[in-house]
Amino acid sequence: MSIQALLTEYGDKYLQALLTTWRLTVISFAAAFLIGIVITVLRVCPIRPLRMFGDFYVQIFRNIPGAALLILLVYALPYLQIIFPYDACVLIATILIPSAFCSEHLMSGMNTISPGQIEAARALGLTFFQMIRRIIIPQALRSTVLPMTNLLVATMLTTSLASQVPMRPRDLTGLVSYINTRAAGGVAAFVISAALYCATALVIGAVGSLIDRKVRILR
Amino acid sequence: MSQSETPVIELKNVNKHFGDLHVLQDVSLSVKKGEVVVIIGPSGSGKSTLCRTINRLETIDSGEILIEGEPVPQEGRKLAELRSRIGMVFQSFNLFAHMSILDNLTLAPVDVLKIPRKEAREEAMKLLERVGVADQAKKVPAQLSGGQQQRAAIARALAMHPKAMLFDEPTSALDPEMIGEVLSVMTELASEGMTMLIVTHEMNFARQVADRVIFMDGGKIIEENTPDAFFEHPASERAQNFLKTIRDH
Repeated sequence: MSIQALLTEYGDKYLQALLTTWRLTVISFAAAFLIGIVITVLRVCPIRPLRMFGDFYVQIFRNIPGAALLILLVYALPYLQIIFPYDACVLIATILIPSAFCSEHLMSGMNTISPGQIEAARALGLTFFQMIRRIIIPQALRSTVLPMTNLLVATMLTTSLASQVPMRPRDLTGLVSYINTRAAGGVAAFVISAALYCATALVIGAVGSLIDRKVRILR
Repeated sequence: MSQSETPVIELKNVNKHFGDLHVLQDVSLSVKKGEVVVIIGPSGSGKSTLCRTINRLETIDSGEILIEGEPVPQEGRKLAELRSRIGMVFQSFNLFAHMSILDNLTLAPVDVLKIPRKEAREEAMKLLERVGVADQAKKVPAQLSGGQQQRAAIARALAMHPKAMLFDEPTSALDPEMIGEVLSVMTELASEGMTMLIVTHEMNFARQVADRVIFMDGGKIIEENTPDAFFEHPASERAQNFLKTIRDH
Protein backbone atom coordinates (compact mmCIF):
# COMPACT_ATOMS: atom_id res chain seq x y z
CA MET A 1 0.00 0.00 0.00
CA SER A 2 1.13 3.53 -0.68
CA ILE A 3 1.63 6.05 2.08
CA GLN A 4 -1.33 7.98 0.76
CA ALA A 5 -3.62 4.96 0.86
CA LEU A 6 -2.44 4.10 4.37
CA LEU A 7 -3.12 7.61 5.58
CA THR A 8 -6.60 7.61 4.06
CA GLU A 9 -7.47 4.33 5.65
CA TYR A 10 -5.59 4.53 8.95
CA GLY A 11 -5.10 8.30 9.36
CA ASP A 12 -7.22 8.55 12.48
CA LYS A 13 -5.52 5.49 13.95
CA TYR A 14 -2.09 7.05 13.35
CA LEU A 15 -3.25 10.19 15.10
CA GLN A 16 -4.51 8.17 18.03
CA ALA A 17 -1.24 6.19 18.12
CA LEU A 18 0.80 9.40 18.06
CA LEU A 19 -1.19 10.78 20.98
CA THR A 20 -0.72 7.50 22.83
CA THR A 21 3.04 7.61 22.28
CA TRP A 22 3.09 11.22 23.45
CA ARG A 23 1.02 10.35 26.51
CA LEU A 24 3.30 7.46 27.47
CA THR A 25 6.35 9.64 26.87
CA VAL A 26 5.15 12.53 28.99
CA ILE A 27 4.04 10.35 31.91
CA SER A 28 7.21 8.25 31.78
CA PHE A 29 9.58 11.18 31.54
CA ALA A 30 7.89 13.21 34.26
CA ALA A 31 7.93 10.27 36.67
CA ALA A 32 11.46 9.20 35.66
CA PHE A 33 12.64 12.76 36.22
CA LEU A 34 11.24 12.97 39.73
CA ILE A 35 12.47 9.51 40.68
CA GLY A 36 15.84 10.34 39.14
CA ILE A 37 16.16 13.40 41.38
CA VAL A 38 15.20 11.43 44.50
CA ILE A 39 17.64 8.63 43.65
CA THR A 40 20.38 11.18 43.04
CA VAL A 41 19.79 12.82 46.41
CA LEU A 42 20.05 9.36 48.00
CA ARG A 43 23.31 8.74 46.16
CA VAL A 44 24.96 11.80 47.68
CA CYS A 45 23.30 11.86 51.10
CA PRO A 46 25.35 11.35 54.29
CA ILE A 47 23.67 8.03 55.14
CA ARG A 48 25.66 5.16 53.67
CA PRO A 49 22.90 2.51 53.25
CA LEU A 50 20.81 5.04 51.32
CA ARG A 51 23.78 5.87 49.11
CA MET A 52 24.30 2.18 48.45
CA PHE A 53 20.63 1.72 47.63
CA GLY A 54 20.76 4.62 45.17
CA ASP A 55 23.83 3.22 43.41
CA PHE A 56 22.29 -0.26 43.34
CA TYR A 57 19.06 1.08 41.83
CA VAL A 58 20.96 2.83 39.06
CA GLN A 59 23.15 -0.19 38.33
CA ILE A 60 20.07 -2.40 38.01
CA PHE A 61 17.87 -0.23 35.85
CA ARG A 62 20.61 1.24 33.71
CA ASN A 63 21.82 -2.20 32.76
CA ILE A 64 18.62 -4.15 32.14
CA PRO A 65 17.14 -4.24 28.62
CA GLY A 66 13.70 -2.69 28.42
CA ALA A 67 12.19 -5.73 26.76
CA ALA A 68 13.54 -8.00 29.49
CA LEU A 69 12.10 -5.78 32.19
CA LEU A 70 8.74 -5.68 30.45
CA ILE A 71 8.63 -9.48 30.09
CA LEU A 72 9.45 -9.76 33.78
CA LEU A 73 6.61 -7.42 34.69
CA VAL A 74 4.06 -9.00 32.38
CA TYR A 75 4.90 -12.70 32.67
CA ALA A 76 6.91 -13.22 35.86
CA LEU A 77 5.14 -11.03 38.41
CA PRO A 78 1.82 -12.88 38.03
CA TYR A 79 3.57 -15.91 39.60
CA LEU A 80 3.92 -13.73 42.71
CA GLN A 81 0.23 -12.88 42.48
CA ILE A 82 1.15 -9.38 41.30
CA ILE A 83 -0.78 -8.52 38.20
CA PHE A 84 -0.57 -5.09 36.65
CA PRO A 85 -2.61 -3.95 33.65
CA TYR A 86 -0.63 -3.99 30.40
CA ASP A 87 -0.29 -0.23 30.12
CA ALA A 88 0.91 -0.03 33.71
CA CYS A 89 3.58 -2.66 32.95
CA VAL A 90 4.76 -0.62 29.99
CA LEU A 91 4.85 2.58 32.06
CA ILE A 92 6.76 0.95 34.89
CA ALA A 93 9.42 -0.21 32.45
CA THR A 94 9.58 3.14 30.67
CA ILE A 95 9.85 4.97 34.01
CA LEU A 96 12.39 2.82 35.83
CA ILE A 97 14.96 2.64 33.05
CA PRO A 98 15.04 6.36 32.16
CA SER A 99 15.05 7.27 35.87
CA ALA A 100 18.42 5.51 36.23
CA PHE A 101 19.81 7.47 33.28
CA CYS A 102 18.31 10.68 34.66
CA SER A 103 20.22 10.11 37.88
CA GLU A 104 23.45 9.47 35.96
CA HIS A 105 23.00 12.76 34.08
CA LEU A 106 22.36 14.61 37.34
CA MET A 107 25.47 13.09 38.90
CA SER A 108 27.57 14.37 36.04
CA GLY A 109 25.79 17.71 36.29
CA MET A 110 26.81 17.91 39.94
CA ASN A 111 30.42 17.46 38.95
CA THR A 112 30.27 20.82 37.21
CA ILE A 113 29.72 22.51 40.58
CA SER A 114 32.97 23.68 42.11
CA PRO A 115 33.64 22.07 45.52
CA GLY A 116 34.23 25.58 46.84
CA GLN A 117 30.55 26.41 46.44
CA ILE A 118 29.64 23.44 48.59
CA GLU A 119 32.12 24.59 51.22
CA ALA A 120 30.68 28.09 51.08
CA ALA A 121 27.17 26.69 51.56
CA ARG A 122 28.34 24.66 54.54
CA ALA A 123 30.20 27.63 55.97
CA LEU A 124 26.99 29.69 55.77
CA GLY A 125 25.21 27.11 57.91
CA LEU A 126 23.03 25.49 55.27
CA THR A 127 21.82 22.00 56.13
CA PHE A 128 22.27 19.11 53.71
CA PHE A 129 18.75 19.46 52.33
CA GLN A 130 18.96 23.23 51.99
CA MET A 131 22.20 22.75 50.09
CA ILE A 132 20.65 20.10 47.84
CA ARG A 133 17.57 22.19 47.17
CA ARG A 134 19.12 25.59 46.67
CA ILE A 135 22.61 24.95 45.34
CA ILE A 136 23.16 21.44 44.03
CA ILE A 137 20.00 20.37 42.24
CA PRO A 138 19.37 23.74 40.56
CA GLN A 139 22.89 23.82 39.15
CA ALA A 140 22.86 20.15 38.19
CA LEU A 141 19.57 20.63 36.32
CA ARG A 142 20.66 23.77 34.56
CA SER A 143 23.86 22.19 33.31
CA THR A 144 22.15 19.02 32.03
CA VAL A 145 19.38 20.36 29.82
CA LEU A 146 20.87 18.84 26.67
CA PRO A 147 21.45 15.34 28.08
CA MET A 148 17.94 15.48 29.55
CA THR A 149 16.61 16.41 26.12
CA ASN A 150 18.30 13.31 24.75
CA LEU A 151 16.82 11.30 27.58
CA LEU A 152 13.35 12.55 26.70
CA VAL A 153 13.83 11.39 23.11
CA ALA A 154 15.21 8.06 24.32
CA THR A 155 12.22 7.69 26.63
CA MET A 156 9.89 8.27 23.71
CA LEU A 157 11.65 5.58 21.71
CA THR A 158 11.50 3.24 24.71
CA THR A 159 7.72 3.58 24.82
CA SER A 160 7.68 1.49 21.64
CA LEU A 161 7.87 -1.41 24.12
CA ALA A 162 4.12 -0.92 24.28
CA SER A 163 3.95 -2.73 20.93
CA GLN A 164 5.03 -5.93 22.70
CA VAL A 165 1.89 -6.20 24.82
CA PRO A 166 -1.76 -6.13 23.78
CA MET A 167 -2.30 -2.56 24.94
CA ARG A 168 -5.16 -0.39 23.69
CA PRO A 169 -5.03 2.20 22.24
CA ARG A 170 -1.89 1.20 20.36
CA ASP A 171 1.26 3.30 20.27
CA LEU A 172 3.04 4.22 17.01
CA THR A 173 5.05 0.99 16.84
CA GLY A 174 2.12 -1.17 17.90
CA LEU A 175 0.02 0.32 15.14
CA VAL A 176 2.58 -0.69 12.52
CA SER A 177 2.33 -4.34 13.60
CA TYR A 178 -1.42 -4.06 13.60
CA ILE A 179 -1.57 -2.66 10.09
CA ASN A 180 0.95 -5.13 8.77
CA THR A 181 -0.94 -8.13 10.11
CA ARG A 182 -4.21 -6.91 8.64
CA ALA A 183 -3.05 -5.51 5.33
CA ALA A 184 0.15 -5.44 3.34
CA GLY A 185 1.22 -2.04 4.69
CA GLY A 186 4.82 -2.97 4.14
CA VAL A 187 7.62 -0.53 4.66
CA ALA A 188 5.31 2.44 4.11
CA ALA A 189 3.49 1.70 7.37
CA PHE A 190 6.84 1.91 9.16
CA VAL A 191 7.84 5.08 7.36
CA ILE A 192 4.81 6.97 8.61
CA SER A 193 5.46 6.00 12.24
CA ALA A 194 9.15 6.75 11.86
CA ALA A 195 8.36 10.19 10.47
CA LEU A 196 6.11 10.92 13.43
CA TYR A 197 8.81 9.80 15.90
CA CYS A 198 11.39 11.94 14.11
CA ALA A 199 9.15 14.99 13.95
CA THR A 200 8.49 14.74 17.67
CA ALA A 201 12.21 14.29 18.41
CA LEU A 202 13.07 17.36 16.32
CA VAL A 203 10.62 19.48 18.24
CA ILE A 204 11.97 18.15 21.55
CA GLY A 205 15.52 18.89 20.42
CA ALA A 206 14.69 22.43 19.37
CA VAL A 207 12.86 23.22 22.59
CA GLY A 208 15.74 21.66 24.59
CA SER A 209 18.33 23.87 22.91
CA LEU A 210 16.18 26.90 23.57
CA ILE A 211 15.85 26.07 27.26
CA ASP A 212 19.56 25.29 27.47
CA ARG A 213 20.47 28.70 26.11
CA LYS A 214 18.11 30.36 28.60
CA VAL A 215 19.28 28.60 31.75
CA ARG A 216 22.90 27.75 31.06
CA ILE A 217 25.11 28.90 33.91
CA LEU A 218 27.76 31.45 33.11
CA ARG A 219 31.09 30.29 34.51
CA MET B 1 43.77 34.61 81.95
CA SER B 2 43.50 38.22 83.02
CA GLN B 3 40.68 38.74 80.55
CA SER B 4 37.38 37.66 82.11
CA GLU B 5 35.66 37.58 78.72
CA THR B 6 35.39 34.26 76.90
CA PRO B 7 37.41 34.30 73.67
CA VAL B 8 35.31 34.17 70.49
CA ILE B 9 37.59 31.53 69.00
CA GLU B 10 39.76 29.23 71.04
CA LEU B 11 41.92 26.29 69.95
CA LYS B 12 43.46 24.00 72.55
CA ASN B 13 46.21 21.56 71.60
CA VAL B 14 44.76 20.86 68.16
CA ASN B 15 46.37 18.08 66.13
CA LYS B 16 45.62 17.01 62.60
CA HIS B 17 47.22 14.62 60.14
CA PHE B 18 46.86 14.27 56.39
CA GLY B 19 48.00 10.67 56.10
CA ASP B 20 51.54 10.65 57.52
CA LEU B 21 51.81 14.41 57.41
CA HIS B 22 51.29 16.05 60.78
CA VAL B 23 49.77 19.31 59.48
CA LEU B 24 48.72 20.80 62.80
CA GLN B 25 50.95 20.06 65.77
CA ASP B 26 49.56 20.91 69.16
CA VAL B 27 48.22 24.26 68.02
CA SER B 28 46.67 26.50 70.63
CA LEU B 29 45.42 30.00 70.07
CA SER B 30 42.63 32.29 71.08
CA VAL B 31 40.99 35.28 69.47
CA LYS B 32 39.21 37.75 71.69
CA LYS B 33 36.19 39.80 70.75
CA GLY B 34 37.14 42.61 68.40
CA GLU B 35 40.63 41.29 67.89
CA VAL B 36 42.26 41.00 64.48
CA VAL B 37 44.69 38.12 64.28
CA VAL B 38 46.74 37.55 61.15
CA ILE B 39 48.36 34.21 60.44
CA ILE B 40 51.34 34.20 58.14
CA GLY B 41 53.83 31.57 57.14
CA PRO B 42 55.24 29.71 54.15
CA SER B 43 52.91 27.62 52.02
CA GLY B 44 52.33 24.20 53.49
CA SER B 45 52.77 25.53 57.01
CA GLY B 46 49.21 24.55 57.94
CA LYS B 47 47.80 28.05 58.23
CA SER B 48 44.90 27.47 55.81
CA THR B 49 44.12 24.14 57.41
CA LEU B 50 44.08 25.82 60.80
CA CYS B 51 41.63 28.41 59.53
CA ARG B 52 39.38 25.70 58.05
CA THR B 53 39.25 23.61 61.22
CA ILE B 54 37.56 26.44 63.09
CA ASN B 55 34.20 25.92 61.38
CA ARG B 56 34.98 22.26 60.83
CA LEU B 57 35.47 22.35 57.07
CA GLU B 58 38.42 20.23 58.19
CA THR B 59 38.05 17.76 61.02
CA ILE B 60 40.70 17.48 63.71
CA ASP B 61 42.29 14.39 65.24
CA SER B 62 42.66 15.64 68.79
CA GLY B 63 42.39 18.77 70.85
CA GLU B 64 39.52 21.13 71.28
CA ILE B 65 37.99 24.03 69.38
CA LEU B 66 35.62 26.36 71.19
CA ILE B 67 33.46 29.08 69.69
CA GLU B 68 32.31 31.54 72.36
CA GLY B 69 33.19 28.88 74.89
CA GLU B 70 31.16 26.14 73.22
CA PRO B 71 32.86 23.15 71.64
CA VAL B 72 32.32 22.86 67.86
CA PRO B 73 29.69 20.14 67.29
CA GLN B 74 30.63 17.05 65.26
CA GLU B 75 27.92 17.28 62.61
CA GLY B 76 24.30 17.88 61.76
CA ARG B 77 22.02 20.77 62.59
CA LYS B 78 24.10 21.93 65.56
CA LEU B 79 27.20 22.24 63.42
CA ALA B 80 25.24 24.10 60.74
CA GLU B 81 23.96 26.48 63.40
CA LEU B 82 27.47 27.15 64.65
CA ARG B 83 28.78 27.70 61.15
CA SER B 84 26.07 30.27 60.55
CA ARG B 85 27.63 32.37 63.32
CA ILE B 86 31.11 32.37 61.81
CA GLY B 87 31.64 34.13 58.51
CA MET B 88 34.12 32.71 56.05
CA VAL B 89 35.79 34.19 53.00
CA PHE B 90 37.67 31.90 50.64
CA GLN B 91 40.56 32.31 48.29
CA SER B 92 38.40 31.46 45.28
CA PHE B 93 35.34 33.55 46.34
CA ASN B 94 32.97 30.56 45.97
CA LEU B 95 29.91 32.59 45.11
CA PHE B 96 26.95 30.49 43.97
CA ALA B 97 27.29 30.50 40.19
CA HIS B 98 23.61 30.17 39.32
CA MET B 99 22.37 33.07 41.41
CA SER B 100 22.52 36.84 41.17
CA ILE B 101 24.85 38.59 43.60
CA LEU B 102 21.81 39.76 45.54
CA ASP B 103 20.45 36.21 45.83
CA ASN B 104 23.87 35.04 46.96
CA LEU B 105 23.57 37.45 49.86
CA THR B 106 19.97 36.68 50.82
CA LEU B 107 20.03 32.88 50.51
CA ALA B 108 21.41 32.02 53.93
CA PRO B 109 19.71 34.83 55.90
CA VAL B 110 16.33 33.72 54.49
CA ASP B 111 16.87 29.95 54.61
CA VAL B 112 19.00 29.64 57.74
CA LEU B 113 18.15 32.66 59.89
CA LYS B 114 14.53 32.81 58.64
CA ILE B 115 14.72 36.54 58.04
CA PRO B 116 11.80 37.78 55.88
CA ARG B 117 12.87 38.04 52.25
CA LYS B 118 12.13 41.73 51.91
CA GLU B 119 14.14 42.60 54.98
CA ALA B 120 17.01 40.37 53.81
CA ARG B 121 17.08 42.12 50.44
CA GLU B 122 17.19 45.56 51.98
CA GLU B 123 20.00 44.54 54.29
CA ALA B 124 21.84 42.87 51.39
CA MET B 125 21.66 46.02 49.30
CA LYS B 126 23.09 48.02 52.19
CA LEU B 127 25.97 45.58 52.50
CA LEU B 128 26.63 45.63 48.76
CA GLU B 129 26.63 49.40 48.96
CA ARG B 130 29.14 49.22 51.78
CA VAL B 131 31.57 47.02 49.85
CA GLY B 132 30.99 49.04 46.68
CA VAL B 133 29.29 46.54 44.38
CA ALA B 134 25.64 47.58 44.75
CA ASP B 135 25.46 48.33 41.03
CA GLN B 136 26.31 44.67 40.31
CA ALA B 137 23.49 43.23 42.45
CA LYS B 138 21.48 41.81 39.56
CA LYS B 139 24.43 40.19 37.79
CA VAL B 140 25.68 36.64 38.25
CA PRO B 141 29.16 36.08 39.72
CA ALA B 142 30.87 35.30 36.41
CA GLN B 143 30.00 38.79 35.16
CA LEU B 144 32.04 40.42 37.93
CA SER B 145 35.77 40.95 38.27
CA GLY B 146 37.63 38.91 40.88
CA GLY B 147 37.88 41.87 43.22
CA GLN B 148 34.17 42.56 42.93
CA GLN B 149 33.38 38.90 43.51
CA GLN B 150 35.50 38.79 46.63
CA ARG B 151 33.91 41.94 47.99
CA ALA B 152 30.48 40.43 47.32
CA ALA B 153 31.63 37.26 49.09
CA ILE B 154 32.62 39.32 52.13
CA ALA B 155 29.19 40.97 52.03
CA ARG B 156 27.57 37.52 51.81
CA ALA B 157 29.35 36.46 54.98
CA LEU B 158 28.45 39.73 56.73
CA ALA B 159 24.77 39.25 55.88
CA MET B 160 24.71 36.50 58.52
CA HIS B 161 25.76 38.93 61.27
CA PRO B 162 28.72 36.74 62.17
CA LYS B 163 30.40 36.80 65.55
CA ALA B 164 33.74 36.45 63.83
CA MET B 165 35.09 36.31 60.29
CA LEU B 166 37.62 33.87 58.90
CA PHE B 167 39.60 34.88 55.83
CA ASP B 168 41.46 32.11 54.05
CA GLU B 169 43.95 33.88 51.76
CA PRO B 170 41.29 36.25 50.45
CA THR B 171 43.55 38.04 47.97
CA SER B 172 45.74 35.20 46.72
CA ALA B 173 43.61 34.54 43.62
CA LEU B 174 43.33 38.19 42.64
CA ASP B 175 45.12 40.24 40.04
CA PRO B 176 47.41 42.76 41.74
CA GLU B 177 45.27 45.75 40.84
CA MET B 178 42.30 44.23 42.63
CA ILE B 179 43.99 43.31 45.88
CA GLY B 180 43.76 46.85 47.24
CA GLU B 181 39.99 47.10 46.94
CA VAL B 182 39.48 43.89 48.91
CA LEU B 183 42.02 44.82 51.57
CA SER B 184 40.42 48.21 52.08
CA VAL B 185 37.05 46.55 52.73
CA MET B 186 38.78 44.31 55.27
CA THR B 187 40.58 47.23 56.88
CA GLU B 188 37.30 49.04 57.29
CA LEU B 189 35.74 45.93 58.80
CA ALA B 190 38.61 45.66 61.27
CA SER B 191 38.27 49.29 62.28
CA GLU B 192 34.58 48.72 62.98
CA GLY B 193 35.52 46.16 65.60
CA MET B 194 34.85 42.89 63.77
CA THR B 195 36.63 39.88 65.23
CA MET B 196 38.82 38.55 62.45
CA LEU B 197 41.21 35.71 61.81
CA ILE B 198 43.06 36.27 58.56
CA VAL B 199 45.40 33.99 56.67
CA THR B 200 47.31 36.13 54.21
CA HIS B 201 50.53 36.85 52.38
CA GLU B 202 49.94 40.61 52.41
CA MET B 203 52.58 41.74 54.89
CA ASN B 204 51.88 45.47 54.75
CA PHE B 205 48.22 44.82 55.36
CA ALA B 206 49.06 42.50 58.26
CA ARG B 207 51.21 45.15 59.79
CA GLN B 208 48.54 47.81 59.50
CA VAL B 209 45.46 45.99 60.72
CA ALA B 210 46.62 43.14 62.92
CA ASP B 211 46.44 43.31 66.68
CA ARG B 212 48.51 40.18 66.73
CA VAL B 213 50.57 38.27 64.19
CA ILE B 214 50.98 34.52 64.35
CA PHE B 215 53.78 32.93 62.41
CA MET B 216 53.34 29.28 61.49
CA ASP B 217 55.75 26.81 59.97
CA GLY B 218 55.66 23.04 59.68
CA GLY B 219 52.26 22.77 61.36
CA LYS B 220 53.35 24.66 64.47
CA ILE B 221 52.89 28.15 65.79
CA ILE B 222 56.47 29.38 65.93
CA GLU B 223 55.92 32.91 67.03
CA GLU B 224 53.13 35.16 68.21
CA ASN B 225 53.58 38.89 68.71
CA THR B 226 52.34 42.39 67.98
CA PRO B 227 52.88 43.29 64.32
CA ASP B 228 55.54 45.91 65.03
CA ALA B 229 57.54 43.62 67.27
CA PHE B 230 57.18 40.69 64.89
CA PHE B 231 58.14 42.51 61.72
CA GLU B 232 60.95 44.56 63.34
CA HIS B 233 62.46 41.90 65.55
CA PRO B 234 61.32 38.39 64.67
CA ALA B 235 62.57 36.16 67.46
CA SER B 236 62.88 32.83 65.67
CA GLU B 237 65.31 32.04 62.93
CA ARG B 238 62.54 30.61 60.77
CA ALA B 239 60.54 33.82 60.96
CA GLN B 240 63.68 35.83 60.19
CA ASN B 241 64.33 33.71 57.10
CA PHE B 242 60.73 33.88 56.00
CA LEU B 243 60.58 37.65 56.25
CA LYS B 244 63.93 37.94 54.52
CA THR B 245 62.76 35.87 51.53
CA ILE B 246 59.67 37.98 51.21
CA ARG B 247 61.54 41.29 51.44
CA ASP B 248 64.13 40.25 48.92
CA HIS B 249 61.42 40.24 46.26
